[in-house]
Amino acid sequence: MLKLFKLLGNKRLFVLLIGLILFIAVMGFTLGSRTNLSWPEKFVKDTVGFVQNVFYKPAGYIAGFFEDISNLHALQEENEQLKIALAHYTRDKAHYNWIEQENVWLKDELNFTLEQKEMYNYTWKIAQVISVNDDPLNRTVVVNIGAREGVKEGQAVHSAEGLVGVVSHVSNFTSTVKLLTAMDALDPNSNGIAVTAEGKANEVFGVIESYDKASGTFLMSRIEDPKALAVHDTIVSSGIGGVFPRGMIIGEVTDIQVGEYGLTYTATIKPAASFTDWKELFIVFTPEAEKE
Amino acid sequence: MRRRKSILILLLFLLFIVEGTILPWLIPTAWQTRIVPHLVYIAIIFFSVYENRHTGLVLGLCFGLLHDVVYYGALIGAYSFAMGLCCYLLGLLPRSRQTPLPLMMILVLIGSLLLDSTIFGTYSLFGLVHEPYTWALMNHIIPNVFVQFLFALIIYVPLRRQLEIITKRRSPEEKN
Repeated sequence: MLKLFKLLGNKRLFVLLIGLILFIAVMGFTLGSRTNLSWPEKFVKDTVGFVQNVFYKPAGYIAGFFEDISNLHALQEENEQLKIALAHYTRDKAHYNWIEQENVWLKDELNFTLEQKEMYNYTWKIAQVISVNDDPLNRTVVVNIGAREGVKEGQAVHSAEGLVGVVSHVSNFTSTVKLLTAMDALDPNSNGIAVTAEGKANEVFGVIESYDKASGTFLMSRIEDPKALAVHDTIVSSGIGGVFPRGMIIGEVTDIQVGEYGLTYTATIKPAASFTDWKELFIVFTPEAEKE
Repeated sequence: MRRRKSILILLLFLLFIVEGTILPWLIPTAWQTRIVPHLVYIAIIFFSVYENRHTGLVLGLCFGLLHDVVYYGALIGAYSFAMGLCCYLLGLLPRSRQTPLPLMMILVLIGSLLLDSTIFGTYSLFGLVHEPYTWALMNHIIPNVFVQFLFALIIYVPLRRQLEIITKRRSPEEKN
């Protein structure tokens, strides 16, 4: 007993224990979903963001230049593919315009309210990446638009290829994006995304809840009926629930198997976004968020 | 001396910026999720070994907190705690201020393992990671050790010289 008291009398040990308790308290407090950052956090984020802004873009240009040189031989092939894509696009555009007009007319006929009409009219705002944290346990990306431009927590972030993450914290001029690779079914703070297959919105339903760090794929679970789903289908968010925007491209099905308890099916999804070499990202604003 | 030290700390901040902005472009795409060197941390180990472990502790806490706030994903405090603790412990190990190169490199190796393991431990304590420790070890901790070791070799000569200039001007009894 005397020895224990002597040990506690050690000032260093005492300070260490206090520090440990303090840190665990801070971590626990900041772990849950926080709606707003405090002003010191915002100030630090904005100041650092300003400096990072100066560095990231030139570095990207220089790296991009060397990459372009090494990719020179692939240019012809890429050009051919783009021409084919363009031909598809012009053909689809005529078709799309026709359907869209018809859709507007039908909504008018059925007396849709303004809110219902505008529901899927998303605005995509471009954002420049200003720094990257590749820590495999907690990957985040910082972008250069923030609360001043109306960014809010929970908005979807999309790259040119596909969905990459969700805005996790916003300061005045910068915001932090938590990548989809941090998704985890066992974490109460991480929400699943309701998804469907492109072109089969009425037949396929599933939820993307977790990311497998070892194999680099998403797991789409709770598929009731796997008949409609096929390998190589493009998986997009379905917007069921109304929080997450619909039509965000997530990836491609590579494998379908029977799920954990044998009642539902799970599919393995290869992400569409590469999660590397960050340049521009798009933040998707839903109409409700803009009105507030 | 004061000025020299504040310039060094400013350089640390610059290193922190470089770590988040320029470094991702230098790492090959295939390795981008696996090599995440903590350059600032390595430089702070030098501070705590050659100058004073309390300086190391304070710098570790501050730069860790900066990292936590700027890249706020799940929680604040993981880096701050790990960096502060590791820098203090590594400053405690060497007996004299005149640590030779081999010993310093061993300290850097131990330090890299310790930092990544502490961070992994914190995240698994809060249930944010469910992979086993061996996965983390093979996935990013070991590759990190090599890169950080190289970085420590590069900065060894200039940083040690600067830190010795700072400590030399101080009176001898203040050294400990």
